[in-house]
Amino acid sequence: MGYRAENLLRLFKAMAPTMLGVLGVLVLAAPVRLFEGFAPTPIFPLVIVFFWSVYGPDYLPPLSVFVIGLLQDLLTGGPLGLWPAVYLFTQFIVMSQRAYFLGREQKVVWIGFGFASLGAGLILWLVMSLMSGALLPVRFLLLQLAATVAIYPVFGAVFKELHRRVLVEA
Amino acid sequence: MDYLGQDRREGLGRKAHSRFVLILLILVSVLLLLSSLYSAQASVFKKAREGVIDAASPVLSLLSGPINYVNGVAGSIGDYFNVMEQNKALREENAELRQWMNEALELRETVASYDALQGYVAPPTAQPISAFVIGEANDAFARSMIVNAGRANNVEVGQAVVDASGLVGRIVEAGGSASRVLLLTDIQSRIPVYIEGADVEGILVGNTRSNPVISFTAGSDEAVTEPGQRVLTSGAGGALPRGLPIGVVASQRRNDIVVDLYANYARTRMVRVINYAFPAIEPEAPADAAAAAGAQTGEQTADAPQPPAEG
Repeated sequence: MGYRAENLLRLFKAMAPTMLGVLGVLVLAAPVRLFEGFAPTPIFPLVIVFFWSVYGPDYLPPLSVFVIGLLQDLLTGGPLGLWPAVYLFTQFIVMSQRAYFLGREQKVVWIGFGFASLGAGLILWLVMSLMSGALLPVRFLLLQLAATVAIYPVFGAVFKELHRRVLVEA
Repeated sequence: MDYLGQDRREGLGRKAHSRFVLILLILVSVLLLLSSLYSAQASVFKKAREGVIDAASPVLSLLSGPINYVNGVAGSIGDYFNVMEQNKALREENAELRQWMNEALELRETVASYDALQGYVAPPTAQPISAFVIGEANDAFARSMIVNAGRANNVEVGQAVVDASGLVGRIVEAGGSASRVLLLTDIQSRIPVYIEGADVEGILVGNTRSNPVISFTAGSDEAVTEPGQRVLTSGAGGALPRGLPIGVVASQRRNDIVVDLYANYARTRMVRVINYAFPAIEPEAPADAAAAAGAQTGEQTADAPQPPAEG
């Protein structure tokens, strides 16, 4: 393999989690209405931010997280800075607990993700309630968080393989 | 066994635990949030939003192909199970609609004869712009959709968006080839409405629940409504044309009237943006007249007449 191709490949590997995050935002903005809208779309970028904050913070630096969040704000039409704050705060908390998560069973990490999602949801709810001047209903938010936590094992397993076999190895 | 994350290779960020950058960016986000509280309509933010919608619209259109296919399959599986029920309901509805059609045809003839009798000036007719929903905010607290028509198709901020069943929302951002529709359920949505037969006007306020609520200005009389009465846009304030169907009254708790929307946001796919020019007083001629009048009396200014703002 030529020097240039190798460099490109390295860049691609370094960018992969960020690109996945951007893709996650785009999928979130697409009109996915499973079961007539009864099943809310999971917050894919939250899974990506959580996973790489635990297993490879080098691959998803805070600036990438910021860009992913900002893109989501711009696409959903919410107040700017909302999702960057939610994602960065999640990353902050997760990275402070990183030593605990590393080498643990996936079940434990899953429970950790549950707590992280609850924290993210709490920030989201607090900010939006403050901004609208009323306590907002939380039913849909809880459903969406439940959907996000429910898909974590599947995406976690896929990302694990991707990270271990493609991004770090070879 | 699990060596994930144990070894350091180069990713995008070399200084892996740059807490400093992380905390800095959190601060930047919070500052952004605070600033968007006060300058949500700042032109920089607006340009950025419109630019992103425009840039994302081809990708979203591409994504919506397979998504619609999957939704179609999932939807038709559901349909197989209750096809008999639906058939019956549709037959009943059809019979009812036929009655209405006959009545409407009669009325049309009557109205046409009256029109012919009088020097009647019809209000300007709306020019609908058809568009597909290519994106939506799948967010707990933001309710909006992205449609694939923009300024190039004469879409402008403030126009009403309807689908086959009724009002969907109104345009809040218009990019070049895509625009954002704020749905009636969003917490920022405020639509002037009236209730047919109840003789009350109010503002339909979104609250992120599926049923928005009509609220009234403080000190207004107690409204008396019955469930099932139709709710339509009132056209007050000159924002939306009068008479677009929104939904029916579901229930009333004191002065809060809960509205059952006609629009089913889980099924909204094709919409029409209503490009409606309000019958406004021509600004130039009256301004000249006013200027002339002002010159005569020496008191009046030559301001263009303000449209009546009520509601």
